[in-house]
Amino acid sequence: MELSSLLTRRRVGMAAAASTAGRLLRLGAVRAEGHCRRLRRAGLERGFLQPTSAGKDAAQKRHVAHFTFQPDRESQEHGQTQKMNLFQAVTSALDNSLAKDPTAVIFGEDVAFGGVFRCTVGLRDKYGKDRVFNTPLCEQGIVGFGIGIAVTGATAIAEIQFADYIFPAFDQIVNEAAKYRYRSGDLFNCGSLTIRSPWGCVGHGGLYHSQCPEAFFAHCPGIKVVIPRSPFQAKGLLLSCIEDKNPCIFFEPKILYRAAVEQVPVEPYTIPLSQAEVIQEGSDITLVAWGTQVHVIREVALMAREKLGVSCEIIDLRTIIPWDVDTVCKSVIKTGRLLISHEAPLTGGFASEISSTVQMLHTRRNPIHFFWEDCYLKLFSHLYHGYG
Amino acid sequence: MRKMLAAVSRVLSGAAQKPASRVLVASRNFANDATFEIKKCDLHRLEEGPPVTTVLTREDGLKYYRMMQTVRRMELKADQLYKQKIIRGFCHLCDGQEACCVGLEAGINPTDHLITAYRAHGFTFTRGLSVREILAELTGRRGGCAKGKGGSMHMYAKNFYGGNGIVGAQVPLGAGIALACKYNGKDEVCLTLYGDGAANQGQIFEAYNMAALWKLPCIFICENNRYGMGTSVERAAASTDYYKRGDFIPGLRVDGMDILCVREATRFAAAHCRSGKGPILMELQTYRYHGHSMSDPGVSYRTREEIQEVRSKSDPIMLLKDRMVNNNLASVEELKEIDVEVRKEIEDAAQFATADPEPPLEELGYHIYSSDPPFEVRGANQWIKFKSVS
Repeated sequence: MELSSLLTRRRVGMAAAASTAGRLLRLGAVRAEGHCRRLRRAGLERGFLQPTSAGKDAAQKRHVAHFTFQPDRESQEHGQTQKMNLFQAVTSALDNSLAKDPTAVIFGEDVAFGGVFRCTVGLRDKYGKDRVFNTPLCEQGIVGFGIGIAVTGATAIAEIQFADYIFPAFDQIVNEAAKYRYRSGDLFNCGSLTIRSPWGCVGHGGLYHSQCPEAFFAHCPGIKVVIPRSPFQAKGLLLSCIEDKNPCIFFEPKILYRAAVEQVPVEPYTIPLSQAEVIQEGSDITLVAWGTQVHVIREVALMAREKLGVSCEIIDLRTIIPWDVDTVCKSVIKTGRLLISHEAPLTGGFASEISSTVQMLHTRRNPIHFFWEDCYLKLFSHLYHGYG
Repeated sequence: MRKMLAAVSRVLSGAAQKPASRVLVASRNFANDATFEIKKCDLHRLEEGPPVTTVLTREDGLKYYRMMQTVRRMELKADQLYKQKIIRGFCHLCDGQEACCVGLEAGINPTDHLITAYRAHGFTFTRGLSVREILAELTGRRGGCAKGKGGSMHMYAKNFYGGNGIVGAQVPLGAGIALACKYNGKDEVCLTLYGDGAANQGQIFEAYNMAALWKLPCIFICENNRYGMGTSVERAAASTDYYKRGDFIPGLRVDGMDILCVREATRFAAAHCRSGKGPILMELQTYRYHGHSMSDPGVSYRTREEIQEVRSKSDPIMLLKDRMVNNNLASVEELKEIDVEVRKEIEDAAQFATADPEPPLEELGYHIYSSDPPFEVRGANQWIKFKSVS
């Protein structure tokens, strides 16, 4: 397979870490010195982490969709847990919602029989066909209809079958849902609307079953965009989205539906929105990711520690907008370096927003440093974007 | 009949150098053509419909038979290759719907235009590409019609605009192609196809309005195979009279399992458009034997009995074959020979599709923009660079 000359995810991670190290050498700023010397001693030569040319052994390996799901430690705080994969965690969250809230309805294409990813299995039998029903094939109609339900106060949980198909509904989301509260002076709102959609690459999806459109929606105030990394996170975040009084879009990494298995509490619980999670503490560099890429970054951090002696702090952003600026900035102040990695295309991807905000806020937050160049070198918010 | 067979067997046993087919033909007189009665189409806002009788020549009959059989076997071969994991990704097969693609092609000219959704392998063939190119595209090889980069859903040919993944999105495109036809003034029409599921998309109604307003030579065709993925038409549509959904656009409902019915209806619709009367809507009532795609077994939302019933009573290839044999347009043996030839062609194509190399990695970034000079595209990380040539 000629595509085998593409780097594996492992090498990408290594390369990413190397680039940061490479820039450290160039800048030579005060704080970097200790690290530079350590890395030079480690025998890091320029280009040793460069991709090798066409490895024939890599013929059948997944290159661009490689990851290993790493479950979190079981949570003791929310009562009895059960082994669930991502789609089962979603079903559990929806089950809890429909049980608690008599106005909650679930609708979308093929949700009645259980959904193409089994996320709504059993719900129609349990709650009735009035509450779990199919729509025709019309995304704009689905979301518009959902906004209408939400405006009357009922809880609308709409499913868009693949995030790639959300674009006919883009106008409804951006122009209707996001601005309802504002334009009516808080008289009306569609806060009880949640849109769920499978998201992200799956390996064989091609153009129209693999997209990550979070950046398109990040540009729109008035909605929230949330992306979980695991079943435990998914259930808590989805329940938060449903309860949140703002229209939310919940993207579910489809490659994790079956691949991610964890112990998930059976009872409902929430994970706060707009709070990023530091899932691993470190001192040398901050790595930010969301969704499936968090697991790639975890592997990268492990390799960086083993091969380069670099200590990485990993942050799962969780909510894309409104995003947790404080957690990320605090981390960057501590480590001095930032690497953001996402599946979506590089240009205009959400990493650019994060990086420009961090750069800007770093200069403003530290009152001692008045000059831009001075700030930049001393604090060295060293930014690198990695894109999957 | 028995006398004929006896004669044939005598000749065959005696034949030395002559190939069997020529011997058969020589020993039997076929009719040149035959007239058939076809089902009357339901009409919407039309005074008259297509004719209820049609003439099928032997030559045309053999051609249609061969084409339908080729599409059938090609789809079944694709099924096989998919299960062997030689074809990956998505694969939507159209076996059962052969009368639609072959019948539509029979009713139009090669200079007319056609656009459809993702169940497009049959149309790719009838619009002129070879089975080799189609199967090689499915397996993602250089010899494929989109150079291996498109796959099942993105096949294109001259005057065939694909091959489109997003449901319903191709319909406004079709209206646009029809506008170009009108503008160019060459008397061409555009066939714009979509399915029963897509018929509920808003943009289709937008396209209806534009086409009717501007009298575009657009034939909207709803290929109603009764199921939009797993949803039956009754559960998806308030009105399952898809031929009436164009409202102000005249429509006709056609038996999509009968190739002659499809051909006559297409001729009628094309004449309607070419005369400047504006768009027309055709609903082809057809059926697919496979599930929605290769990941759908196709039996969770319909019974095996239903599939079996359609296969035994309405199979388009069987219907044509019976007609031809019963009216002395061809013999069973002759058609069997065509089957054998088709099988061989498909086997060869599958061999090619399996053995052909994949497109070179360097081409991964080609044709993103039209650009001169070529520019660089970043890959999944900053060291991977592709040149984008276009």
